[in-house]
Amino acid sequence: MNSRTFTCIICPNGCEIQVSYEGDKIHEINGNKCKKGLQYVEQELTDPRRTIASSVRIKGAELPLCSVRLTKPIPKKDIFSVMEKINQADLTAPVHIGDVVIKNVCGLDSDVIVTKDMERLQ
Amino acid sequence: MEKLYDVAIIGGGVIGSAVARELSRYQLKICVLEKELDVCNGASGRNTGLLHSGILSGDHKLRTECCLEGNAEFDQVAEELDVPFRRSGKLIVGFGEEEKLCLEKLYEHGLQCKVPGIRMIGADEIKKIEPNADGETAIYVPSAGILCPYTYAIALAENAAQNGVHYHFDQEVTGIEKGADGNYKISTVKSHWTARWVINCAGLFAYRISSMLGFGTYIPQRVKGEYEILDKKAGKFLSIPIYPAPSENGDCDIHITPTVDGNVLVGPTLKEIGDEIDYSATQEKIDEMMIQGARLFPKHVKREYFIRNYTGIFPYVVDPVTMQRVDFQIQSDPHISHAVNLVGISTPGLTSALPIARRVVVKVLEQEDLLPNPAFNPIRKGIIRFADQTDEEKARLIGEDPDYGEIYCRCECVTKAEIKQAVHNILGVSTVSGIKYRTRATMGRCQGGYCETRLTSMIEQELHRDAKDILLNQNGAYMFVGKVK
Amino acid sequence: MNRRDVVIIGGGPAGLAAAAALKKAGIHDILIVEREKQLGGILRQCIHDGFGLTRFGETLSGPEYSQRFINEVKDLQIESITNATVIDLSNDKVVTIDTTEGLLKIQARAVILTMGCRERTRGALAIPGTRPAGIYNAGVAQSYMNLYNKMVGKNIVIMGSGDIGLIMARRLTLEGAHVSAVFEILPYPSGLPRNIEQCLNDYNIPLYLSHSVIDIKGDPRIESVVAAQVDEKQKIIPGTEKEFPCDTLILSVGLIPENELSLSAGVSLDGRTKGAIVDENFQTDVPGIFAAGNVLHVHDLVDFVSLEAEKLAEGVSRYLKEGSLPEADIPVETGSNIGHVIPQKISGTRDIQMSLRVRRPVKKCRLVISQGSHTIKSIPMPKAIPAEMIQLQLKADSFISKEPVEVRIDE
Repeated sequence: MNSRTFTCIICPNGCEIQVSYEGDKIHEINGNKCKKGLQYVEQELTDPRRTIASSVRIKGAELPLCSVRLTKPIPKKDIFSVMEKINQADLTAPVHIGDVVIKNVCGLDSDVIVTKDMERLQ
Repeated sequence: MEKLYDVAIIGGGVIGSAVARELSRYQLKICVLEKELDVCNGASGRNTGLLHSGILSGDHKLRTECCLEGNAEFDQVAEELDVPFRRSGKLIVGFGEEEKLCLEKLYEHGLQCKVPGIRMIGADEIKKIEPNADGETAIYVPSAGILCPYTYAIALAENAAQNGVHYHFDQEVTGIEKGADGNYKISTVKSHWTARWVINCAGLFAYRISSMLGFGTYIPQRVKGEYEILDKKAGKFLSIPIYPAPSENGDCDIHITPTVDGNVLVGPTLKEIGDEIDYSATQEKIDEMMIQGARLFPKHVKREYFIRNYTGIFPYVVDPVTMQRVDFQIQSDPHISHAVNLVGISTPGLTSALPIARRVVVKVLEQEDLLPNPAFNPIRKGIIRFADQTDEEKARLIGEDPDYGEIYCRCECVTKAEIKQAVHNILGVSTVSGIKYRTRATMGRCQGGYCETRLTSMIEQELHRDAKDILLNQNGAYMFVGKVK
Repeated sequence: MNRRDVVIIGGGPAGLAAAAALKKAGIHDILIVEREKQLGGILRQCIHDGFGLTRFGETLSGPEYSQRFINEVKDLQIESITNATVIDLSNDKVVTIDTTEGLLKIQARAVILTMGCRERTRGALAIPGTRPAGIYNAGVAQSYMNLYNKMVGKNIVIMGSGDIGLIMARRLTLEGAHVSAVFEILPYPSGLPRNIEQCLNDYNIPLYLSHSVIDIKGDPRIESVVAAQVDEKQKIIPGTEKEFPCDTLILSVGLIPENELSLSAGVSLDGRTKGAIVDENFQTDVPGIFAAGNVLHVHDLVDFVSLEAEKLAEGVSRYLKEGSLPEADIPVETGSNIGHVIPQKISGTRDIQMSLRVRRPVKKCRLVISQGSHTIKSIPMPKAIPAEMIQLQLKADSFISKEPVEVRIDE
């Protein structure tokens, strides 16, 4: 049996969760204020995932960059391959929150979307 | 890029620029070769900003003479060159019998040197002059004043440039030779220059140029001084510089000086560093400033008022034989024609800059007749400070130029219009600190947290610079490694 | 001179939320003054996600979070001017604004201060060493990287474990830089635990607790820092000094409410929060001048900023309708292990929301609110850390006298 302490990242509470587990089976869990904590630990033990945010070059807007994020968490190990795709993308103003920049990025079932309204500069 | 100048001035600090300005009264083709990327990066921009009275110049005669002369004329100079200045007076305070005796001796010396208006006063009168000062005895020196040192250097340089002087930056001099035609060939890290005259105004490095020209050999015995800048919140409590009684060698350790902009300077701490160049701050000296500062200006030398620190280096040199600090040296030599050598120009160099420059002109006139420059204009106008204007004047400025309606630096209330003028300064300085020295942007308590991004964008756009070529203050001081994307 | 019922200084999350709530409370004559070209405040550069869980029940990036409020303000037809900086605020509520159209002077009946905060700088800390290029406050680096497309460095060391510093450790790593260390002078992190986890641990960035940067080397660009371990009194432990090469030092060493305008209006500040002293209506000691958000006290989460500003709107609308608010003559005092508390004084006549932070981390403790010997509330807490703001509601009838209210942590 293994034991480990997790810091839940789901909400700002940041619960410190003590877990004893074997493989991906949890025997005992303490410290989580809600059931999201259990889900988080289960996910961390089997397939840790994160959403990431970054920015993409944009032409014709007031600023040279437009902020973006993923719609769904992706496996942690794929973060830097996704960043490479984000680094290659280009946008042209106007763009709006929710516009899809890269659909199904790296085949991970998550989209890169715009998170800032940016109008075209006259 | 070879071009024949009548005069090449080596060093564009306050002395070189004063010389340039005074020589531009004559029909001469003049250039200033400056090692740095601006005129106030060396000692000229790193000092207390005090208009000295002459009382602290010891038994150096020329130092005292130039200081008294520069002090007396400064109201007019400040007016002509649009330099922030206030004749604040100064207190040199002492605690206890020993310091009292020291002050009395200094007072006698001041009377002998004819420092105007000085008086010995007691604790009561100290409090009357500055309720927040402390001390048992003091010399009150009414003729002392405070000015903005880097603005003064810039103003002299800009006035020189208006009158036709060429400034060349990034030109550290590596060698000087006299050609068969009698002209000086000056090699710099970047280029070669030819001039009939050379004037050595190289400040901290003047001893090197002195040797290159064949004037005397001097040994640098530099003194490093650390300062802290306090918030304007502390400035409200101080109207007059407060100096401690001088040490045996005449140096005044850590003093408290209000600035013309409303801040307070604590320092300089003094440390002999020989021939080193060391601008770093040390914990030991920071702690020392807290203790000594609190002695002179109780309650207001607080950590929460710290805005920034800086370090200056006094360019003292000693005579290789006597090993004594030398007086101001303004030298010409019949065997070294067409050259004027300035060495040992340390404090009060700021106060003495124009008197020194006039003595340089005299040296030139001894060897050559010069025709006056009929177009010479002694008046230089600085960038209008929006923050200092009345509401009516502010409204008028915005009406003239809407860029006055955009605040870039909120701490010091500096507008886009001022930043733009600074970016397009007549000397062609393009560093971030160049804008800072010309506008006060980034000098407030947030230290550029709000405006620095705007300044760098302005340099990028107005001067068509790539982000990675934007420099903080000197070569190699790159701000960015490139683009994110 | 123009007249307005309400002038809101700052169009960030606090100002926008206050405006929307005021409008909904029936106050129509509102002007938001924003110095940037767009509304939204600092959130425009906070492109990471994690905002809005409390306020909207979903996790958003900073720009998305602020856009919701911007849209609401637009839908409610609340007037705002951007690219306009307030350069003076007088004690009698005359607001002077610098705009490209001219110098505006507005006589307001009520002024809401929502100017946010600024970062503590290297100069304020007086870190010894050289003054090279390559030293950035975390928020400045964030602005350069997320808005202006300027990369500040490649080899990074971070001083301070504040949330912005942690967020920037991850941002810099994602954008191709190498972050070799984060130093925190305290024996515990300043930022939220989740940020330690997802910004540092996820990327194997070491966090050195009880460590401080004691020297900066390099000129013209930074080349290294010297860090050392410190004892519980934050004194350097000799022999623990170690040099860390870097081309960039990022500072995340605290935020200071931006109260220069408040001071010019004669508003009294609290030495602990560095923000205004306010009552339960968020009114300062200058009648008709109110404050909320990071200008009042530095928050951990923007959601609480919005909620606080919405709460403030109740007080402002009451002030405008009734001409004054009940006198707040009961002081609220900080007892053991309490860093600060908002409000600092109350009238005892209405329900209040209290916000506070502990001074040092504790586990299994009680948060006790008392008046004299009377305990108003005693709340068991599994843990309390300085990084997290604690909020609680108290009913008007809890206050039994005019005696000072004390807030403390019992261990």
